[in-house]
Amino acid sequence: MPVKPKPVPVATAWTMPFWEGTRNGKLLYQKCGDCGTNVFIPRIACSRCFSENLEWVESSGRGTVFSFTVVENNAPSAFIADMPFVIAIVKMEEEGVQMLTNIVECDPYEVRCDMPVEVVFEKLSDEFTLPKFRPAASR
Amino acid sequence: MSDLKGKVAIIGIGEVPTGRFPEASAIYHAIESARRAIRDAGINKDNIDYVLPCGAVYSPPFNTELITGRVVEELGLKNVSKNCQVFSGGSTSSCGIDIAASLINSKAASTVLFVHADRLGTGVDLQGGIDLFATAGISHEWEVPFGQHYSSIAALAMTRYMYETGCTDEHLAAVCVSNRKWAELNPHAFFRKPVTIEEILSSKVLSTPLRAKQSNMLFDGGAAFIVTSAERARDITERPVYLLGEGGIVTHFVYSQEPDITRFGWARAAEKAFGEAGLTAADMDIAEIYDSYPIYELIAFEELGFCKRGDGGEMFLRGDTWPGGKIPTTTNGGMLSQGHTGGGGGVAILVETFRQLMGKAGERQVPNARFAVETGTGGTYMDSQVSVFGTEIP
Ligand SMILES: [Zn+2]
Repeated sequence: MPVKPKPVPVATAWTMPFWEGTRNGKLLYQKCGDCGTNVFIPRIACSRCFSENLEWVESSGRGTVFSFTVVENNAPSAFIADMPFVIAIVKMEEEGVQMLTNIVECDPYEVRCDMPVEVVFEKLSDEFTLPKFRPAASR
Repeated sequence: MSDLKGKVAIIGIGEVPTGRFPEASAIYHAIESARRAIRDAGINKDNIDYVLPCGAVYSPPFNTELITGRVVEELGLKNVSKNCQVFSGGSTSSCGIDIAASLINSKAASTVLFVHADRLGTGVDLQGGIDLFATAGISHEWEVPFGQHYSSIAALAMTRYMYETGCTDEHLAAVCVSNRKWAELNPHAFFRKPVTIEEILSSKVLSTPLRAKQSNMLFDGGAAFIVTSAERARDITERPVYLLGEGGIVTHFVYSQEPDITRFGWARAAEKAFGEAGLTAADMDIAEIYDSYPIYELIAFEELGFCKRGDGGEMFLRGDTWPGGKIPTTTNGGMLSQGHTGGGGGVAILVETFRQLMGKAGERQVPNARFAVETGTGGTYMDSQVSVFGTEIP
């Protein structure tokens, strides 16, 4: 069976700065200039107060694994060749936001809940670079 | 609070067996389910004045036919004022009954036919089904590019839930065993052979810790029901099933943005539904819980108030939820055993709720069942919907 190409993010006008950020090795989120809420995923307006006064801020890139799974079988076609691979929800503790990602650069079976991780960037296409996470270097 | 308590009643149900029927079309399942429901109600079909077909999102041409009146024409219904689709994925059951009830209570309708059918067992192959479900309802910007799909979604909830509560693989397998005990007694279920915890835990891992035999399968099938006012229902049938309470909370679209993937909105939804009914979990004779994966059945079961968080697994394991147990749960075998017939697959769970309360459940009839709670959850568990029904109005 031919390997299907990886799906690329279907982005919108107001999320493009995020993807421009990852291309340049930066993980960005939005901060509301009116109520101070940290907004992720990127929105047209603040999801708390509706303000459009959102500024882009760079994340620390540090988080913890909230939950994870190692995909061993029945993956979507484009990901069959990657099995086993880790899908995880990472919490960015400092920013108070969370995101779906893959945990990379480690044995998939070493991943644990609440494990500290740090962002790395993986180029998917000329336009899109995905933020992924690896176990954090001991601090 | 919606003030629907005791205002409307279900008077008829219809269902076709769940399975693979390459010779049948989806419309066959819809029409046959609807005909059975009308006959079961014992009404003149021309009394139906409102049709709510459920969306069949994975069969687009059939879906268009449902939207554009095919059910009305095929059944030869002469007095239908509106034919309008209702769809919220796995919560279509709870949302559908709520909408039907609201239409009747506001006098926009007098007798509503609700019908769900789809053909996912023969309409799509396994990998095709995985690929469909790896995009439907999952964010194409924030999750699809990372390989997210429905097995991984269930697995993410399992991992965190097990980590926080100490729930074991055996506990989660026990949910499947419990549902199968009921399916053994259900002629409409696809999987009817007994299954053991060992068999479930030795089936292949899909996404850790989720195993193949803890996953629902896609099949063909359909289910329908008929709703009218409580007043009219009492003239038509000796055993109407009353809607007593409704509650729901919509929490998210992008799964990773849901702040609590081990609880969702169940407790708040249950508080509303039980509050409107004036009842509690302890009053329920049956729990009919949406179970695309065992983790969701377990979480909803606990959050509805049948036990403390983390204690549900033991109840499924020791048989409290089995036939003859103290709280019979998901008595048609659920999606895990009867099978998943598409976006509206949860309608089968709702129809089973009515069947039990009508006393028409045959071999698996729960004796003297008066009150039952039913749940639905759509998309990537984007909502928590709870409905309470009874054979009397408390
Ligand atoms: Zn704001």
